[in-house]
Amino acid sequence: MDNSSILSGAAPDTSRDSSGSAPGNRSLRVAENEKRRSERDPVRSALSFLSQVQDGTIVKGNDQLEKSLVVVETVALGRGLPPEAVSLLLDLALSLRAGSVNCGRILKFLIPASVVPQEAVVRGVSWLCVGRLPMNSQVLFLRWVLTVFDLIDFKDHLRAIYGFIFSFVTEENLAGFKNYNSTWKATLTAVQRKNRGDVTADLSLTTELKEKPASRKRKLHHLEVPALSSAFDTSAERKVFRLQEMRTFEELLQNIHNIELPAQMGSLLGSSLALHFLDCVQDESAFLRLNFWLGHSLQEEFLLCSADGGSDSPDEVARFLNTVLSSQQFLQEGFFSTESFLYKFLSVWDGSLLRTHILDLLSHIPLMPSHYIKILVFEPLMQLYFTSTVFFKCSVIECLNNMLVKWLTWHSVNALEEGLDISLNSNGTVTMTLSGFMDTVIELVRFVGRLASEGLRLENCHVLLLSQTLAFYETVCDMFVRYGLPLVIMPPAGVFYPALLATDSLSVDRLGYIMYRYRKNLTLAKKQEQQSEQTFHISRNTYQEFNQHLVAMVSCLWNSKSFLPGTGIEIDKQMLLQSKVSEHWSHFDLVHHPAFFKYAFEFHQKCWPARSSVDLASIKVGKYWNWYVEFLFSQGFDGLSDFIQVNTGHSSSSGSSSQGDGHQTNQER
Amino acid sequence: KKNMLDFFILGLFISPGSAVNTPVRRPVTRRSKSYGRSCVEPPSLFWQTPGHLTTLGHRIPTSRRAAKSHNITEKVDPEQVALLLDGEWKLSYVTPLFLFRHTQLKLYSKRLAAFIIAEKQQGVAVEVGLEAGFRVSFSAVLGMAETEEDAETISSRPVFGADGSKPVWQGWLTCVNGDPEYLRSLPPDFTSLPLFCSRGAESLSALVKSWFQRTFDCSFGALGLSSSTLHWLAALWTGCHPAAGIRYLKLGWTMPTQPPLDIEYSVDPQDAWELWNSVHKEDGADERISVDEVQSFINGLETHFFRHFKIYLSSGTLTKVSTALGSAHHHGKIKVITINSDYISTVLTLLTECALLKTPV
Repeated sequence: MDNSSILSGAAPDTSRDSSGSAPGNRSLRVAENEKRRSERDPVRSALSFLSQVQDGTIVKGNDQLEKSLVVVETVALGRGLPPEAVSLLLDLALSLRAGSVNCGRILKFLIPASVVPQEAVVRGVSWLCVGRLPMNSQVLFLRWVLTVFDLIDFKDHLRAIYGFIFSFVTEENLAGFKNYNSTWKATLTAVQRKNRGDVTADLSLTTELKEKPASRKRKLHHLEVPALSSAFDTSAERKVFRLQEMRTFEELLQNIHNIELPAQMGSLLGSSLALHFLDCVQDESAFLRLNFWLGHSLQEEFLLCSADGGSDSPDEVARFLNTVLSSQQFLQEGFFSTESFLYKFLSVWDGSLLRTHILDLLSHIPLMPSHYIKILVFEPLMQLYFTSTVFFKCSVIECLNNMLVKWLTWHSVNALEEGLDISLNSNGTVTMTLSGFMDTVIELVRFVGRLASEGLRLENCHVLLLSQTLAFYETVCDMFVRYGLPLVIMPPAGVFYPALLATDSLSVDRLGYIMYRYRKNLTLAKKQEQQSEQTFHISRNTYQEFNQHLVAMVSCLWNSKSFLPGTGIEIDKQMLLQSKVSEHWSHFDLVHHPAFFKYAFEFHQKCWPARSSVDLASIKVGKYWNWYVEFLFSQGFDGLSDFIQVNTGHSSSSGSSSQGDGHQTNQER
Repeated sequence: KKNMLDFFILGLFISPGSAVNTPVRRPVTRRSKSYGRSCVEPPSLFWQTPGHLTTLGHRIPTSRRAAKSHNITEKVDPEQVALLLDGEWKLSYVTPLFLFRHTQLKLYSKRLAAFIIAEKQQGVAVEVGLEAGFRVSFSAVLGMAETEEDAETISSRPVFGADGSKPVWQGWLTCVNGDPEYLRSLPPDFTSLPLFCSRGAESLSALVKSWFQRTFDCSFGALGLSSSTLHWLAALWTGCHPAAGIRYLKLGWTMPTQPPLDIEYSVDPQDAWELWNSVHKEDGADERISVDEVQSFINGLETHFFRHFKIYLSSGTLTKVSTALGSAHHHGKIKVITINSDYISTVLTLLTECALLKTPV
């Protein structure tokens, strides 16, 4: 028996804190850890003790036996027992080595954490045949077998000895039992549920064990993934492999041609191994079954809220949606029942119920013609957006960014395979041309542009909202280079200027990165256009918009000419005079910009530590300017650095150019 | 048109097998990353007519055929009609059944009986009678289907106790005049019988539903009747008055007051008919009723009530409609009186439509 596997994941590690506190020598620490470990692992020592109990051991007054049993019992009822421990304890109980009283006691707490080894059951039946067991222990054992039957890992050997089992069952004393599973059921359910959470979290390759479906159904539980089971139990003559018997990925691969679809397709969502299988299923009916089930579950829970159910606990609802989400993430596509549910739900959603789940699901919706997405998604979302808090606004922008990334990724994969025409469906029910696809993408980007501009205005350029917005444009600016979609859409002024004039340096830096990437995309587009490799055409307007933003940004940050005529953003002279800000044109250059002021100040102190009065203007003179720019770039403003180098010709190695010449802007034409 | 089995009553027997299996699929290549069937394009019920997007995104017909007295007993065994009509039924909707075969009803009877007994032995089902005297009978009610797309009605009656005793639970599945476009869109493995009516112990209903779910991979949900459905029923039944004699028209409302106020409104059948006649335009051969007419009829009734009691009934919830022809409750219960079975198909068409509109995809 492998003790380490029994104890894996047993007690949380509490000894990992000693590194800093105990300065003593290493061996002392090792000894200390050793001691702690044995204290921490009473289960290990208890099981090891129990495995050594011999026939004829005195039971009465045997304190150590009692103590060990208590330890194991606690673990069993709390977390369940690993297969090896189940094996060991079952043998101990039925051999009566620990006495007949303890036999019953052990059986009652024999709750498996995952599976029950078949061999343990077979050995148990052989103890039954020895005939030494008292009748009540026999009954208890058989009841236990029936309860955990679904958890027995393999059943091939067990089938061979069914005859024995049935001969016991037909005995009068054994036949009459009722409620055979009440002893273990509640604990088993709790333990299995707890363990299931861990399994789904890491998507490990095991067929996850389901609790037995609650058979006392006063209510219909919509939000319960059904257990894997076969349609009818008659396929014995045909060689098929059942998903519920599958344990490893290797088994899946070896039997992939021979796997039986389960009775309820929804059960596939409960196990990550089954999801691998689902990914290979090419059967429309099977997917339709899955979608009927899923659509029904979501509809009953969220839309109809019928008297039959709809009262599942929030935890259960969240768990269910997590299952759906992780399945969709695994398959890299959404189910169309989820999609159709979302369109209905968005119009009645309050924006707070299960917000993260709903928005995550929404980010999975596939591309659809632009007039549909306007009515189904944008309109209800817009209403919620403008009536909700800034955090909801951030979540919406983030969701739409994820949506766009998924569409673009999907496009970059499929466009390679199928050329320009995109067929959304292998059956051809929905086809979309490249221009249709672009229309929808344009619609989405413009929609986010509107949401972000208005949102930033309403929320006083909230830094989180600005950050989510810039994250979105980091996706948008790279659509051509990174995803092969020949489309360039510039951010609206309502997004660009709040970012340029932001008070935090990270936003300005990100804007620098975005403008740098726009330039890369436009350059590539122009190059391809000139080589007439592509038939698409980026409109002059887009170049103009880009140049306008570029001029504004370079004038502001580099040339100290903000708000002057011909710099993109022009403010009436009279108004500027009224503001009584002296030298207003230089207030957003890299030295005076509120986002970089702190760095300029620090630089000033380093250059002239003896100066008593700070004169930031002196940074702009001669070599100091170059040093300052170097200093800024060394602070991790890579986006800004790329932007400056590409657009002003400032090279980090050259020290020749100086501020004041009015650097020309390298515009795209 | 279809060779169907007649009515069966079967004894309980745990069957050894030879059943319909989920076919073993042979996936060989990886499915292309398509987004599957779209929910915004036909045949999905999601939209059929733009502009009629309700909360559930479904279309509501704006007109339907008036109740016509055609003698259903000519097509359907009268004994079976009596069975379907007698008493009050609880309504549910069902998603399409997978691999349901009309030719396997005998087998289903056995399996359902075995399933109920197995569950009961776990201390789940209600304590009823002796297991030995327990039977389930499945039957196909022939002739209920109105169009080629409709599947034949199925009824199921687990029977407890000795031969000839009263059934403890009854249920049936039907599809009358179901939306042909939707029904045609389903792959042939599916049978759409969207309307499920049951009566008897709730625990047995739950067991039967659970068996159907596991056997045919379908799902059940309660089918409530919206105010507009009840309006339609009130109008349809009132329209039958000259031919069948509705004797009374009773409407029940629950008003949103504290404490809630229940209002029962009884209308003289002749008055109701005259009101209906005044808003309904006879347009010759194909007699149809439009949603506007139904709305005017209900408005007329509500205005009359307001004139006397100064209560706006439209601010409350219509909960019940009843006439001598039948009654319907918004919780999803319906009663259709046997003697007037001629109108059943009109009612079933309406209910089938309600059930189909609840189909999630």
